[in-house]
Amino acid sequence: MPSASLLLQGLALGILTGGVYALLASGLTLYFGVMRVVQIAHPAFLFLGAYLTYYLFTFLRVDPLLSILVTVPLFFVLGVLIQRLLLSRLRPDSFTMMSVLLTFAFALLIEGMLGVVATGSFRSVTVDYATRSFQLGIVRLPYDRLIGFAVAVATLMLLFAVLRYSRYGQALRATIQHREAARLVGIDTDRITAIGFGLGLATAAVGGAVLALITTFFPAAHWGWIARLMAIIVVGGLGSVSGAALAAVLLGVIEALVLVTLDATWAALVFYAFLFLTLVFRPQGFFGGRLAERF
Amino acid sequence: MPSVSSRWRIAAAAVAGTILVGYPLVAPNAYMLYVAVFALMYMALATSWNIMGGLTGYISLGHSAFFGLGAYVTGLAVTRLGLSHLLMAVVAGLLVGVLAIAIGYVALRVRGASFVIVTIALVYMFSLLAQGWRNLTGGSTGLRVPAIGDLSRLQIHTVFFYAFAVMFLLALATWWFIDRSKLGMGLKAIREDEDKAQALGVPTNAYKISAFAISAGFTAVGGGLYAAWFNALDPVFVFSIIIGANMVLMALLGGVHHLLGPALGAVIVVPASEYFLVQLGETQIHLVATGLLLAIVVLVMPDGIIPALSALRRRRGPPAASIRESSAETATTSRVTP
Amino acid sequence: MTFFATNGLRRAFGGVVAVDDASVELHEGRINGLIGPNGSGKTTFFNLVTGMIAPDAGEVVFRDRHIEGQAPHRIARSGIGRTFQVTRVFPRMTALQNLLVAVRRAGLTEVLRSAMRGPEVERAEHWLERVGLEHLRDAEANSLSYGQQKLLELAGAMMGDPQLVLLDEPAGGINPVMIERISDLVRELNAEDRTFLVVEHNMDMVMSTCDHVVVFDRGRPIATGTPAEIQADERVLEAYLGV
Repeated sequence: MPSASLLLQGLALGILTGGVYALLASGLTLYFGVMRVVQIAHPAFLFLGAYLTYYLFTFLRVDPLLSILVTVPLFFVLGVLIQRLLLSRLRPDSFTMMSVLLTFAFALLIEGMLGVVATGSFRSVTVDYATRSFQLGIVRLPYDRLIGFAVAVATLMLLFAVLRYSRYGQALRATIQHREAARLVGIDTDRITAIGFGLGLATAAVGGAVLALITTFFPAAHWGWIARLMAIIVVGGLGSVSGAALAAVLLGVIEALVLVTLDATWAALVFYAFLFLTLVFRPQGFFGGRLAERF
Repeated sequence: MPSVSSRWRIAAAAVAGTILVGYPLVAPNAYMLYVAVFALMYMALATSWNIMGGLTGYISLGHSAFFGLGAYVTGLAVTRLGLSHLLMAVVAGLLVGVLAIAIGYVALRVRGASFVIVTIALVYMFSLLAQGWRNLTGGSTGLRVPAIGDLSRLQIHTVFFYAFAVMFLLALATWWFIDRSKLGMGLKAIREDEDKAQALGVPTNAYKISAFAISAGFTAVGGGLYAAWFNALDPVFVFSIIIGANMVLMALLGGVHHLLGPALGAVIVVPASEYFLVQLGETQIHLVATGLLLAIVVLVMPDGIIPALSALRRRRGPPAASIRESSAETATTSRVTP
Repeated sequence: MTFFATNGLRRAFGGVVAVDDASVELHEGRINGLIGPNGSGKTTFFNLVTGMIAPDAGEVVFRDRHIEGQAPHRIARSGIGRTFQVTRVFPRMTALQNLLVAVRRAGLTEVLRSAMRGPEVERAEHWLERVGLEHLRDAEANSLSYGQQKLLELAGAMMGDPQLVLLDEPAGGINPVMIERISDLVRELNAEDRTFLVVEHNMDMVMSTCDHVVVFDRGRPIATGTPAEIQADERVLEAYLGV
């Protein structure tokens, strides 16, 4: 029977990791909301962001948190371009299938290019201030995880604020809820969709910086994340950013608990187990998400 | 349907048949025969994939799960139980097909992009299991499968050239049979409008699961034959998403709505990728090429090569009477639609 | 025998109750109309009856058998056909193929038969003729005009040889000549012992075609009767004009 301190450690780590998962999954909710696209390449972009953070740090000594200022606008523009120039060209009648295949192609492309440029060696970013841990009672909280969590939460709150209070954010929510109605009130849904996509990719830039800080990565790392992030948004319920956040923390905690009590392989299987369980018992997700009916 | 006169068809079939029978006898060296076997394997795999993908419209990006399962079941049966290679490949196909019924029952509760994700999760899951379950599978170090007999490389390639050719022809026959049957009609209706198909009495779940299981079973046979042919199973390779991605790419490239589409795609992609592998020797460029090709096909010719060729031929030939012209008559008497 | 009845049928989506305690009874052999203001739950009612969504509560009885909660294809095969509010056909299949999709008998031998041959083809051609589309038999469904697609959908619904036919706004979006044609067809088919339940906003069509009308408002029936009775009913007027 694992000790209480071990379980508490798992719980704490799980919450910290869950927060990061929530950030990583938020982009997916945006893509899906504005375009009904399941952007399989999102994890690949995450790691592209991680690699960029790594190179900025290694060659230009830019602190990973500062590099966000560079990578976010870059990724935003990239997202807008991808949506405008490529995704919008797909025919509506086979859109689901083709968008999946297209984003899958992006993932392959990114992985391939990263492999050629960066080779397969494992990379990570280590900054002095993040190598130690903070002791809170019997629980040890590593600084890098804490920072990652803080960045994730801050970004998510910023995202919420933008969605709720800014003009673009409101137009975005309207477009997500009912595209036709949004158009009828004069919203340029094409432009908004491009912005939504850009925002989604921008979260990948932030997520990538966090990932660079807290884990080691290699070009093929994104495959392991696709299923994890998808499990989160399926369990949380499609189209719901808060639902995804809840599911992220929940799954993060369970994964961490399994990790400290069993081993890494079992922990990795937690997400798949939840994905399949959700499909069997409640395909539309658990925490609300009106878009989940049939897609 | 592409309008090729029957004389052309018979001639083409005769040529293809001759190649299928005679190629091993005229292949210049073992490597060229190896490439041909590889191509045939993918022709068979892509056609098997298309039994599900092309007919139902449900895109499985995780079919390599079944390939890997077939490979391991066959490999383990041969290694641990000393059973016949070719027989076990077939048995593995049946077993995996049955397993796929259970998997399909869960996976097919969702549609469209959700289904794609589930299939990706599936592959990754099996990959993890294969690597983690050391006692059974030998873990990450892989599994060594004894060769089918004391034969030279050339002879082994020849045996499996014919083995994959038979599998390919069987997969083709199955696709063709389902396509023209009531089952196929129902599957295509599911592809066009699943809810409406239900409203017309089509038992959509049963049909989808059937296609999924048949497709999985054939893919597993391919995996089993691969295990017997290659003799070395690496869990990361056989459960790699790349194999599944190639199957999809080839089917899409040739044309998913056509019997020979996947085979055509395979015949183009396999020799090309082998060529690039020899020239560049870098597996990551492989990925870039695959991704690029997939992206181009999706953006430029999503229906594949065969329909694109048909369209070209139609544009060259005499213009066909427009359907709209004949209905214009009825239109003038009864139509005004907003 | 209870030909068709629902009892306390209820369905909510999140906080919105779309169908609320709906109890409706239909007699065999009539053309029944289902009218009501937008959002009164008519299409949801159809979806509940045909099994496309599951009810939160209540029952649906068809020919003395409970069908609530059954899978849509089973309900379709038990003798209930339907068309959709926004006409749905299989776009890339020909008109004939659209009809051949219909499954009347399940079973392994049925499923393996060739789809384009046999008695089913004759039936499909017969129905194409009935609705006047036999000359478009090999045309792709997405090349047909909207009115033609509506006729095709109707023919498709008839392929299952249904005793009860649910039509969701058959007169929506088409010209008066086509409306007349569809009304005639409905009357003809009704004379052949088929019961109809028609959701419609086109009052002329309802008044001239229906024997019996049910009025929905906010998810439940508020009045039933002959077209004349309904026209005179105060509650109906209130419902349409809003309170």
